[in-house]
Amino acid sequence: MKEYYTNNQKETEGLATQLAQDLKGGELLAFSGNLGAGKTVFVQALAKALGVKENVTSPTFVLMKVYDLKHNKADKFVHVDCYRLSGQEDLFDIGLGDYLNHDNIIVAVEWADKIINLPKTAIKINIDLITEDKRKITIN
Amino acid sequence: MKVLAIESSCDETAIALLEGKGNSLKLGKNVVYSQIDIHKKYGGVVPELAARKHVDTIIPLIDDTLAKNKLKGIDYVAVTSGPGLVTSLILGMATAKTLAFINNLPLVAVNHMEGHVYSNWLSNTGLAKNSNKYFPALILVVSGGHTELVLMKGHGEYTLIGQTLDDAVGEAYDKVAKLLDLGYPGGPIVSKLAEKGDGSLHIFPRPMIDKANYNFSFSGLKTAVLYTLEKKKQLSKKDISDICASFQEAVIEVLVKKTIKAALKYNVKSIMIAGGVSANIELKKTLSRESKKINLSFFYPKLEYTGDNAAMIAVAAYYNILNKKDNVLQGNKVFDLEPHSNWQLSKNKI
Repeated sequence: MKEYYTNNQKETEGLATQLAQDLKGGELLAFSGNLGAGKTVFVQALAKALGVKENVTSPTFVLMKVYDLKHNKADKFVHVDCYRLSGQEDLFDIGLGDYLNHDNIIVAVEWADKIINLPKTAIKINIDLITEDKRKITIN
Repeated sequence: MKVLAIESSCDETAIALLEGKGNSLKLGKNVVYSQIDIHKKYGGVVPELAARKHVDTIIPLIDDTLAKNKLKGIDYVAVTSGPGLVTSLILGMATAKTLAFINNLPLVAVNHMEGHVYSNWLSNTGLAKNSNKYFPALILVVSGGHTELVLMKGHGEYTLIGQTLDDAVGEAYDKVAKLLDLGYPGGPIVSKLAEKGDGSLHIFPRPMIDKANYNFSFSGLKTAVLYTLEKKKQLSKKDISDICASFQEAVIEVLVKKTIKAALKYNVKSIMIAGGVSANIELKKTLSRESKKINLSFFYPKLEYTGDNAAMIAVAAYYNILNKKDNVLQGNKVFDLEPHSNWQLSKNKI
């Protein structure tokens, strides 16, 4: 487990960019943290660093959005938001089965704590709000 | 030309029959089976439950709609193919594909947001009679999943002018409702409470209001509401109404200001609003007033067509067919159609 402290949005984005560089394709990133913690900010920066050209907007309503990538290994980035889920569903229930465990796909799940049976291989990222600007980010 | 339309993109199963002839649109049947009571207790749509319910309702609903005539006289089948929940979309699509294939009918793949745009045609006969008079039109698309400014140069011709960079407006309403523990869906509850509140009491941020583009951001606004709540120890009924009113005032000010600015810049002939949030009375009132000031016609859908329905899908399909768009599929080709969970209106091809 690694702990990071960021003092502003730019530093959070920097950390996401750094993480993006370590990804090889096939990963599942599981985000947790309260409303307003900055999960979306992190995912947006990560997507940008991975080479997503479009604006990454909140997938809360449709649960997931799929983007094409320009990356050396992966060619798809899937952004999932489980905020609206009730806590009784797994990733297959929301239609993610087609996207898991493929070397060419990177999946980022926000509010992953609302998902049951999260794969053990998931990289867990928790964001805690310390003050309005400061965040504690743990990557596991 | 008779169109049978099927919509199942989220938590509503809907079927409609439309007869289009030139500039006249005659809606035969329009039924919506809402699952809202099922999902209410979970504070949002549960995809697995939604999918199961679509399975139960879709065939009986089509049966009822068609009655004894069955598919006699139907020329086209239309179906929502995205954006939406994949697990919900596939059920309407599987039904539509099967119906089209075995009855040898062409299948029209419709973008759900284009359906919302065409709910304006369904609601305003003047617009249907003389569409060209109102093009180019600027459309403010506002719903649970979308906040976009779209330039519509003609039927089926869309250019994205601006969009939210994070949360959609409807989503912001839902999240504020959840923070205040008001229930789901948040839009109608928050706007109702806002009527009684004092919107000048809390000055919430107007994100990106003075930026030189037409993009929006509502994520920070929700966070500002959260901080306000954290500072208060107890919430009275009046506090809640005031927060709702102040939140709504911030949202509407940004939406309207950017819409009017874009309307002037792109020299449009009319302004329209589309999507679930077009049910918001205050938003309609403000947009109507501001459009009048710059001498532009303002259109909005009738309340019954603001929510998800198949009538609007049928109308969008009708104009797609008239304008020979390439989303009309025949024979075996219907099985190539796949759901597009984030199908962009400005990329209106399948």
